[in-house]
Formats: sequence, C-alpha cells, structure tokens
Amino acid sequence: MSASRIPAQRGPTVEFEFDGDPVVAHEGETVAAALLAANVAAFGIARNGEPRLPLCNMGTCFDCVVTVDGEPLVRSCLRDVCDGMRVTRNEAS
Amino acid sequence: MVDLVVIGAGPAGMAGALAAAECGLEVVVVDEQAAAGGQIFRRTPESFGGSRATRPYRWAPDLIARFDAHPNIRVLYRSTAFGIMRDREGSAVRLNVGVSAATGGELIPAKRILIATGSYDLPVAFPGWTKPGVMTVGAAQTLLKSQKVLAGRRVILAGSHPLLLIAADQLLQAGAEITEIAFARGLPRASEMGAALSAAPGHFEIFAEAGRAAARVVSRGVKVTTRTIVTAATGGAAVTGARLTQVDPAWHRVGPEREVSGDLLLLGYGFSPATDLARQAGCEMRWNSRLGGWTVVTDERFASTAADIFVAGEPTGVAGAEQSRAEGRIAGLHIAESLGSSASDHPRLLRRAHRALSSSGRFSAVVQAMFEPNREALGHLSDPEGTTVCRCELVDSGSLDTALRANPFISTANAAKLECRSGMGPCQGRYCEGTVATRVAAARGIAVADAGYFTAHVPVKPVPLSTYRMLGSTSD
Ligand SMILES: Cc1cc2nc3c(=O)[nH]c(=O)nc-3n(C[C@H](O)[C@H](O)[C@H](O)COP(=O)(O)OP(=O)(O)OC[C@H]3O[C@@H](n4cnc5c(N)ncnc54)[C@H](O)[C@@H]3O)c2cc1C
Ligand code: FES
Repeated sequence: MSASRIPAQRGPTVEFEFDGDPVVAHEGETVAAALLAANVAAFGIARNGEPRLPLCNMGTCFDCVVTVDGEPLVRSCLRDVCDGMRVTRNEAS
Repeated sequence: MVDLVVIGAGPAGMAGALAAAECGLEVVVVDEQAAAGGQIFRRTPESFGGSRATRPYRWAPDLIARFDAHPNIRVLYRSTAFGIMRDREGSAVRLNVGVSAATGGELIPAKRILIATGSYDLPVAFPGWTKPGVMTVGAAQTLLKSQKVLAGRRVILAGSHPLLLIAADQLLQAGAEITEIAFARGLPRASEMGAALSAAPGHFEIFAEAGRAAARVVSRGVKVTTRTIVTAATGGAAVTGARLTQVDPAWHRVGPEREVSGDLLLLGYGFSPATDLARQAGCEMRWNSRLGGWTVVTDERFASTAADIFVAGEPTGVAGAEQSRAEGRIAGLHIAESLGSSASDHPRLLRRAHRALSSSGRFSAVVQAMFEPNREALGHLSDPEGTTVCRCELVDSGSLDTALRANPFISTANAAKLECRSGMGPCQGRYCEGTVATRVAAARGIAVADAGYFTAHVPVKPVPLSTYRMLGSTSD
C-alpha cells in the first residue's frame, strides 16, 4: 500500500519518532495519517507475526493501535501528532 | 448532575442536543472525534483550514454552527464513552456515563442519556482481509476528506453499497487509479427504479449526486462490474491484488476466480449500527437485516426499553443522515418534555420533525431494499481453511467450526464467543460478530437472527487501567 498526501493547505511541520526513526508530519494530522503517508509497513504486529495497518479510520477496529509516550493501546486514527512524540509499534502479547 | 448526556456528535446527536438545549436543558455531548459532524461531515483540522464538505445536505452547515455556538451545550471531544453505569440509592437509580480521554477519565451523572453513536462499515471476513492494504471504503474516504491523504495508488473497490461509487469518484479526483469496481448485485430492476423515483421528491439532490458520481467514474473509463464479489486479498505481507468471482442473484459463486492487481482493496458492503453502549446499558435489541442487522428497539419518542435512555440515529437502524437528524430532534424534544421543560411551540416542532422523519424514511426504505447485503453469502467467504474470523484474538473459521462440532449445544454467537474467544479482543467483537453468527447459523441450520448477538460489557472500548479504577464501587 502506498499512501500519499494530496496537495492541500496543511499545518506547520512537526517531527516525531516511530520505533526510533524520525517521521516528519504536519500539525493537525492524526498519527495514523502521518504513519500511512510515511509508508510505515506495520503499525502493529499480531500474535501470529502478521503486520497490521488501519482498517476503519474511525476508532472502532483497533487495528491502528500504537503506544504513544508509554501509553499503550492508543488508536492512532484518533490521536493527533505533536512535536517530539515517541510512538512505538504495538506488539501483541 | 447534568440534564442530558449525548453520546455522538453526528447528525442525530447534534440535532438531539440542540433540541434539548433550546428547551432549556443543560447538555453534555461526548464524541471521540476532534469536531462535531459525525462520520459524514468529518472536517479537516483547523491548521488545514477547517473546511468541511456538507453537500448535498443544505441543513448541515446551520445545524453544526448552532450546535457549536449553543451556550447550554458543553462538548467533550476526543473523549470515549466506555460505559453506562447505574448507582442505586434506595429505590432511586442514578445514571452515569463513564468517559475516557487522553487527559484522564470521569463519570458524568445524568438525568437522561441519548445514545447517538452512528454506524461503522460492515465487516466481511475472507482470506487475506487482515493484510495491510485492505480497508473499509469509509476509512479511505475519511482519510481523504479530513486528512487529505490518499491511502493507495491503485485501488480495487468491492461491495454493494452506493457509497462505493461516490468514494470512487472522490478517489479518482484525488489522483488515484482505479483498477476495478466490483458490485455484488446487478443493476436495479425496473420495479426498484420505479420505487426509487416515487421516493425521490425532496431527495432528488442525493440521487443526482450519486448519479453524477457514477457517470464521472464510467466516463473516466473505470471498469465497473456487476454480480461480482471479492473472494480473497492476495499478496505477501501487503496487498498486491484481489481475487474476484462472478456470482448469481443470490450472491453464490458461479464462475472461476480471476485476479486483479492493486495496492489498496476497499470494502463497502453497507453499515452496521454501533450498538455496543446500548447493549451494555441493557436496551432491548431487534434484528432487522435491511436496517443493518441488530438495532435498538425504541418507541415513537425514541426512548429505549432501558429507563431514561433514548437512542437516535443509526443505532435504531441505518437510514442516512437525513433520518438520523430527524430522529435526534424528536428524541431531544421528548427528553426535554420528560424533564418538564418544553418550548412554547413544542407541538409544532414535533409535528415538523415527524414530517421530516416520514419523508426521509420513504427514501431510506428504498435504498435499504436495493442495497441489503446477502449476509449468508458474505459469511461463506470465510469458508476457506485458515481464514481469520476474529482479527484481534486470531480465531479462524476452522477452529470455530471444530468448536461447533465438538459442542453441539452451542447455538448462539455469544456461546461460540465464550468457547473460542472470538470477539474478546480490543474491538469487542464489532468485526467478527456477523461472521460468527452466520457460521453458527449455517452449522445449526437456523436463521442468522436466531444465532443472536454478542453481549457487551464495561468498558465497551478498552480504557487505561487508571480510568477503570476510578469507577470504584460503581457497577453496571
Ligand atoms: C466512515 C463512514 C463514512 C460515511 N460517509 C458517508 C457519506 O459520504 N455519505 C453518506 O450519505 N453517508 C455516509 N455515511 C453514513 C453516515 O454515517 C450516516 O448517513 C449519518 O452520518 C449517520 O448519522 P448519525 O448521527 O446517526 O451517526 P454518525 O454521524 O456516525 O455519528 C456518530 C458519532 O458518535 C461518535 N461515537 C460513537 N461511539 C462513541 C463512543 N463510545 N464515545 C464517544 N463517541 C462515540 C462517533 O465518533 C461519531 O462522531 C458514512 C458512515 C461511515 C461509518
Ligand atoms: S483504524 Fe480502526 S480504530 Fe483506528
């Protein structure tokens, strides 16, 4: 899947971290939109090792959950990016 | 204690909150999104200009503006209502709404509750549907509308709902390439078109909008096939294509499979009412496939069978934004009346809302009949060995069937859930309930409705432990 930002007015850039790598995004973007646009291959890894990406983008499926600054099970489609945020992949236990 | 807590700020929740507030009630509204509007009127962030598409609904900008501005309405955005709890003090019962946000949790005591939680895209389980690159059509649409992100480059759309064509048009305009749009049903029959025309007065613009979208899609040379269903998402770790198969009018496969390529597969088979909170609160449910499956039973005031809890919009049946708004308004007026405050022109307002309800109802009945998904056929898409049914707990159709063979007394979706853990993960069964129910029904030779639904418990969506502890001795 190769997602991209379409031309549009956007907020100022912010930088956050996903699994230690820097991601550049725009203020107002959700973590899900920013990670999709960065072409991250997996937001989470299911117990059987399968990668997962967002399914619903509306808060109901929980396939987009990540850990944000230590807070687990955060739905990235409902959370906005902010500068310096540390996001890590969700590893199912 | 506030007079009314409304859960959901879509057309139903906004209309309900506003009607009650205009009668003098103090209203708190809870919504997980960042702004009012619901799924259909999702807005871009302030830093993107805060624009919002409301066509062809002329009433929408005014409803949203009045909702945003009303001094009696306090809105908690980015906040999840995770449960409805009752405190018993002697014979008196007090309602509380449990709310969780990134900043913490709270319990909001309320005299009345209006559940207006909307719906979500109907999930369909088939081989490969958990792969990155499979999304609901609503997901791609909301990413585009509110985040200006195109989710893929080469898109395959599969489903049976008219929204598929509107979404395809929007994706094309944003620069996507569409490999194929596979419609499970055939073209509408003459009798259906006749019914649609007689329901059209007042809804002409919506029909026109869908028609224009379809024409634009076809004129761009996009391949649109009918009586075609998706049977698998193909590729390694991520989607590189989909397998499509010809079906008969009952959606049974009649042809061989063929493969089309694409990096994004979008599913649009219709919508499921979001009824988790209503179930958890003890509202009576009723099966109605045309209205989306399990719906909440209400009376003509939109009061549920649970005391002081009203339900409006898609949880009572999926019927579109127009009807959601009318239901919300009627509920809000009756809630105010039940607390002894009504507007001076109350009867006139109620009559107007009922007129809106019956005209939107005619329209949605036509749409529902035309686009009802064939649930049995969709359930069979999960037949192939190893197909994941429950995405969270990784229960596949084979282990579900084995459990059904080993436990002949299991004849409900809920019993199957307790046996297999299907539906016990973070999504709480929203994405496997339909598949589990159709598999149980097929195994026992009963109707899908007789397999029942998953019960819901607090928290209906996972919340941090700290929020949960705050509940203390309060029980549901
Ligand atoms: C993704 C999606 C896209 C859609 N796009 C279109 C479209 O383009 N055109 C069209 O005609 N119809 C569309 N629909 C159908 C549309 O939902 C209805 O026509 C109409 O908007 C329903 O209004 P409503 O008020 O009943 O629910 P909604 O508008 O869905 O509003 C429900 C609100 O409740 C909130 N909510 C739900 N549960 C909770 C909770 N536990 N805690 C807090 N908040 C909660 C949600 O965040 C949402 O804002 C779409 C539906 C979906 C799911
Ligand atoms: S994508 Fe489904 S909850 Fe975020």
